[in-house]
Amino acid sequence: MNGATASHRDDVLLELDDISMSFGKVQALAGIGMKVRKGEIHSVIGPNGAGKTVMMNCINGIYQPQIGNVNYKGEKINKLRPHKRAALGISRTFQKIELFGGMTVLDNIRLGRHMHLKTGLISGAFWKGKTQKEEIEAREFIEEEIIDFLEISHIRKKTVHMLPYGLQKRVELGRALAFDPELLLLDEPLAGLNLEEVEDMARYILDLNEEKRWKMTIILVEHDMGVVMDLSNRVLVLNFGNAIMDGTPDEVRQNPEVIKAYLGEEDLYATRR
Amino acid sequence: MSTFLPCGVYHETYAQDHAFWQTNFIRGKMILLALVSFIAIPFFLTDYLSEFILLIYWSLGALGVQLLIGYCGQLTLGHAAFLAVGAYASFLLMALPWPRFMLDMGVVYPLVLLISGIIAGIWCVIFGLPSARVKGFYLILTTMAAQFITVDFFIAKYVSQIGGRQQDLTLSSDLVKFGPWTVDTKRDIYYYGLILTILMTFMVLNYLRSKPGRAWVAIRDNDIAAESMGINITLYKLQAFFVSGFIGGVTGAFWGASRNIISVEDFTFGKSLWLVGIILIGGVGSIHGVFYGAAFMVFMIWALQEIVGMVGGTGNIIYYKEIAFGLAICGFLLFEPNGLAYRWWQSKNYFNLWPFSY
Repeated sequence: MNGATASHRDDVLLELDDISMSFGKVQALAGIGMKVRKGEIHSVIGPNGAGKTVMMNCINGIYQPQIGNVNYKGEKINKLRPHKRAALGISRTFQKIELFGGMTVLDNIRLGRHMHLKTGLISGAFWKGKTQKEEIEAREFIEEEIIDFLEISHIRKKTVHMLPYGLQKRVELGRALAFDPELLLLDEPLAGLNLEEVEDMARYILDLNEEKRWKMTIILVEHDMGVVMDLSNRVLVLNFGNAIMDGTPDEVRQNPEVIKAYLGEEDLYATRR
Repeated sequence: MSTFLPCGVYHETYAQDHAFWQTNFIRGKMILLALVSFIAIPFFLTDYLSEFILLIYWSLGALGVQLLIGYCGQLTLGHAAFLAVGAYASFLLMALPWPRFMLDMGVVYPLVLLISGIIAGIWCVIFGLPSARVKGFYLILTTMAAQFITVDFFIAKYVSQIGGRQQDLTLSSDLVKFGPWTVDTKRDIYYYGLILTILMTFMVLNYLRSKPGRAWVAIRDNDIAAESMGINITLYKLQAFFVSGFIGGVTGAFWGASRNIISVEDFTFGKSLWLVGIILIGGVGSIHGVFYGAAFMVFMIWALQEIVGMVGGTGNIIYYKEIAFGLAICGFLLFEPNGLAYRWWQSKNYFNLWPFSY
């Protein structure tokens, strides 16, 4: 893997080919094209209602675009249900936390491991033997790779809906990691976190992208310009369903149209500085 | 509901952490429970065996409903239909011309029990198919349809006529044989039900700590997120319907074997409502709740009968029963919506943490 970084960069993992989506008369996405290359962090920014989450839902399969194609590793995946897309290696977190409230942290993360387990109705009923072995293996993976990485070992037996917001966000990231995805969609992972938690989360995102263990490709939807500009390799700017531009953070920062639509006055966009 | 471990108990392997009973105190309690249910009740409380058999019957029936409503979040109001399917299937299958040696060896009835469970499971899946599209109140309607189509139409009009018009199906108790063990006295029936309950409870608990059960709970809590985590929600909903129907079918077969006679009146719509009422009283989403709810109901009726008998009222017990049950459900929804199981958990924690409850 090491020597091939240069050619790696040119591999397109996910391609949105001119996708459009409208709800009644509201055009949520109007012919968006985007190429995400393997190993990069590709951010999507835009004002509220620009269509960022709709785009995520199109990639993830909760919505199916009315026009255009979603290609993953060169294959068209438009019509696949979300669980089929998850099996291809696409994982996500949600803007408004969508954890399983009644389950413990550990069970939530175990659930992310769902696709790697093989227990069926018959072996599950007996537990002893195959199922038990499989559960212990899953537990080892979760403890060593995820709980340790995200530093949530102290809350692993807590019920999720009793946890503070920042920790819930972290658990949600853990759940998304549990099935070892190739492409991770993060829908506003920093919204509502305090400065310290933002720094932690940004570090996790960078680690996931850069560490040899994970090497994930990440699509990041975020409003915090400081973090977006620092982390991303490329940035796509949306406004009312239209793509204004797709370029490196520096190009985006200097584009007058972007400044007019979203960033506003130059001093204002760099929040939390 | 997270639980606390006492000081000094440390797990060294994950297997220990995945076990049901993690401390010696709990193991002791379980042994005590086994002694009470296997020895004390059948030998020393013989006068009340009928009540305990009823308790077993209601807990088994409610276990299936609990799985569907409490763990998978699929509302059902027609579970008596699947009990009926299981009961009728077991009676009709027993009436087949089985070879003599199989009957003598006692392998027929266990086989029939399994098959009637599976038939009821498949029947339940058929009526669970709409759950792929609808949820909540709309699903209640389709499961109510299951009740009326199965019991009031299919069984009342056709299946129950098989033995002859207006003739209830019967099953001779010497046919109910597990190997050399013939289930004919009341005590035998009690043991049969007890073992069945233990098996079914362990089955459900094992599901809940492995892949299928987690997927069900995930569907209950958040189906959109569940689907993006790679769960095929339609498949898992139908699996839940199958397991629930299977438990229902086995329960129905047990009911039939305990009575030796079944009729459509045993599986009315009211019974479906009672099954849901049990889990409301016991606690939705709790296996303990099934048993607490069933116990509450059986002993409430028993106490009512005693009281009504003492006061001297006769004949109207059926109305008092319904009124009391309705009132109990209203009371629980108002004052303890999480049911008896939650109350039990709270009081247990109070004593576990006493005197420093923070």
